[in-house]
Amino acid sequence: MQLKNVIESPCGLRFMLDRLDLQSGFARRWLLDSSMMTEASEIKASHDVLRRFIDFVNTVDRTHLTTLLFRLQGVKDIRTTIKNLRQVATLDDIELFEVKHLSILASEVTKLLCEHGMCDAVAIPDLSEVITILDPDGLKMASFYIYDSYCAELQDLRKRMRQQPEQQDELLVEAAEIEETVRRDLTRQLHSHVDNIENALVALATVDINLARARQVVDEGLCLPTISTDGTCRYCGMFHPQVKDALSRRSKEFQPVDIWYGLQPTLITGANMGGKTVVLKTLTLCQLLFQFGFGVPASAATIAIKDEVYFCIGDEQSIERGLSSFAAEMKNIDAVIKASRENRRILALIDEPARTTNPTEGTALVQALLKVLATKHMSLVMTTHYDIEPGSAHCLRVKGFDNGSMNYSLVEVAGGEVPHEALTIAESLGIDLEWLSLAREELTKSPNEKTQK
Amino acid sequence: MPRVPFINDILNYDSLSIVGLQKNTGKTECLKYVLERLPLEQRRVAVTSIGIDGETTDQVTRTQKPEIVLREGMYFGTSEAHYRQRRLVSELIDVSDETTSLGRVVTARALTQGKILLSGPSSSMGLRRWMRDMRRHDIDLVIIDGALSRLSLASPAVSQSMILATGAAYSINMTHLVQRTAFVVDLINLGVTSESNIALLNPLESGMWWIDTDGQLHEMEAVTSLSQQVEFQGMEHCSTLYVAGALVDSFLEKVRKNKQLRHVELVVRDFTKIFVSPQQFRLFEKMGGCIRVLQRSKLIAVTVNPTSPTGYMLDSAMLCDKISQAINLPVYDLLKDRVS
Repeated sequence: MQLKNVIESPCGLRFMLDRLDLQSGFARRWLLDSSMMTEASEIKASHDVLRRFIDFVNTVDRTHLTTLLFRLQGVKDIRTTIKNLRQVATLDDIELFEVKHLSILASEVTKLLCEHGMCDAVAIPDLSEVITILDPDGLKMASFYIYDSYCAELQDLRKRMRQQPEQQDELLVEAAEIEETVRRDLTRQLHSHVDNIENALVALATVDINLARARQVVDEGLCLPTISTDGTCRYCGMFHPQVKDALSRRSKEFQPVDIWYGLQPTLITGANMGGKTVVLKTLTLCQLLFQFGFGVPASAATIAIKDEVYFCIGDEQSIERGLSSFAAEMKNIDAVIKASRENRRILALIDEPARTTNPTEGTALVQALLKVLATKHMSLVMTTHYDIEPGSAHCLRVKGFDNGSMNYSLVEVAGGEVPHEALTIAESLGIDLEWLSLAREELTKSPNEKTQK
Repeated sequence: MPRVPFINDILNYDSLSIVGLQKNTGKTECLKYVLERLPLEQRRVAVTSIGIDGETTDQVTRTQKPEIVLREGMYFGTSEAHYRQRRLVSELIDVSDETTSLGRVVTARALTQGKILLSGPSSSMGLRRWMRDMRRHDIDLVIIDGALSRLSLASPAVSQSMILATGAAYSINMTHLVQRTAFVVDLINLGVTSESNIALLNPLESGMWWIDTDGQLHEMEAVTSLSQQVEFQGMEHCSTLYVAGALVDSFLEKVRKNKQLRHVELVVRDFTKIFVSPQQFRLFEKMGGCIRVLQRSKLIAVTVNPTSPTGYMLDSAMLCDKISQAINLPVYDLLKDRVS
């Protein structure tokens, strides 16, 4: 699975990527094409690199960093040129310029990184031979043309052009033939460096991506998680950056949450507006960020690697597929159950399943879903308002209304008993009192009275 | 001694666009004149053109675009396709991310004199980005070969100064030609509003706004000046009325007919936002109305081509004279001036 396939996930991944300060369009494309990491060694290696960049960002002076970022802005996507070079198709002036430009950038970035002991953080191939081929006069300038010094005859023709401008057109035709020979020759010489050139392009994108990730870790207070070995995930001080950002715009603070879940189901209950959906969103976001090599929004975290992450948020109608919100939700959860029967590491985050149908059948569906998934070797975090029998599930409850304000922290509870705070919360929202007091009356009626109606 | 009118004036600015009121009004002739005479030892000069995107005549006009003769040392921005067809020796200094239908925009420096087809960035945003890049290469002066009747590219948001080319191709009726040219020149030369108004209005990208006599800013309800339901209620103390978008006839007429607004200063961003007929504009002026801009580009010169593409020829001296009288600026027939 590539990053570009999950970027629109409702967990808020796009927000994080939009805030990632990448310098070149190529780095962004390269990042979006990257695949989700599912091997511990892979993630560990990417963390090792990222950690070096975090140290670098924390210690380097501003001017040095600005210079480095400015250089990285110059990186262009020259994969078509590289492809032509691989096929030994004669490169034209623009393509030769691109190769030279990239090579000079690579050497400048290498130098800037080495000055801070970052030589080996990302392996950028040495392209000094390429530069020598394309800079025969040793001018060290990022410009290019078929230099006079490539061929004495060319030099002579150009001299005549300047002396006899009236003959320029004929002389240009003569020169064009020689220039083409030079290009063919240069292409042949460069061909043996094509792997290095390609690797340098990727390395520059990698530097760009890691610098951006590192600055995001520092600026947003993210952490690099520990890789869990027993399937248990733990988060301390977890927050959702987008929600946090929206709150801080209204001068409000986000209350970070501590949570853990393992390979048995986790059931979250709690009052409306208690942040249950935000918890699921954040868990999804953290899992994806972790497996795509980013820092995660928490003060500390231990995360287990998964092969697949399912986030079922429930209220997604699929108008194109002609499905109602209920049907779309059923299909999504069905996919989780099917996947759970295969031997893959799965994390499923399901927000209030079956909430759009009648409570009797809804409760039955949720109860059964819990039973089905409890037997599977997977992680499940599910929220619900229905009264269900938790079985072996690990139960959490949002603390809820506490001294007149909402306390979003999660507490461990023994059973899955659901809180009855909906009317109190509605009242605090200033909802019509006639409506709410009638609702209270309804609650006090015995079931018999209701059926008699 | 060769006459070199207005070349020195150009050197006071970091950008110049050359625009023609119509095809065949001598825009290319004017560009040629400027490029031949600029003192390259004093200034690093870069030249580009604005592409014409999204129009069906695109390829036709492009193929008809004449080649420009560059001097050694000049920088130029053109498309990849046209760079490959260059007839000079040049050194590439940049390949930008700006794309045109003829490939990316590349920038190079002429190492010999010679001919080049110019086709630069295809939008004013792209052009501004290219011009910003030129500053990195220590370019002192950027010259933009404007597209046909695309005055918006001469917007002061893009270039500091401009040259306007007009001529018989626009109209062979001399009176009409003089009037139309004078109208455009009047728009270009509209006065700049006060510093305090600029500070208040410059950040406003859309909508209609007014400033009361106490200097307080208010937003008008109607979304654009195109709206038929523009109401000027509660604006007794209005001193300045700002239209962030296009200024059109119907709106100008409403302002003119509203007694409350008789002495109000009407402000637009720059002259390229004005889409009113000369009749409405003159009526508005006659009634004491006043239009001001936030930004103005310096009109360096007006040039004329007295010959129409159909072969009809107006009297050059008389034409220059009449336009010059109407606009209070010298007017040049560059071909004639060179011959004489």
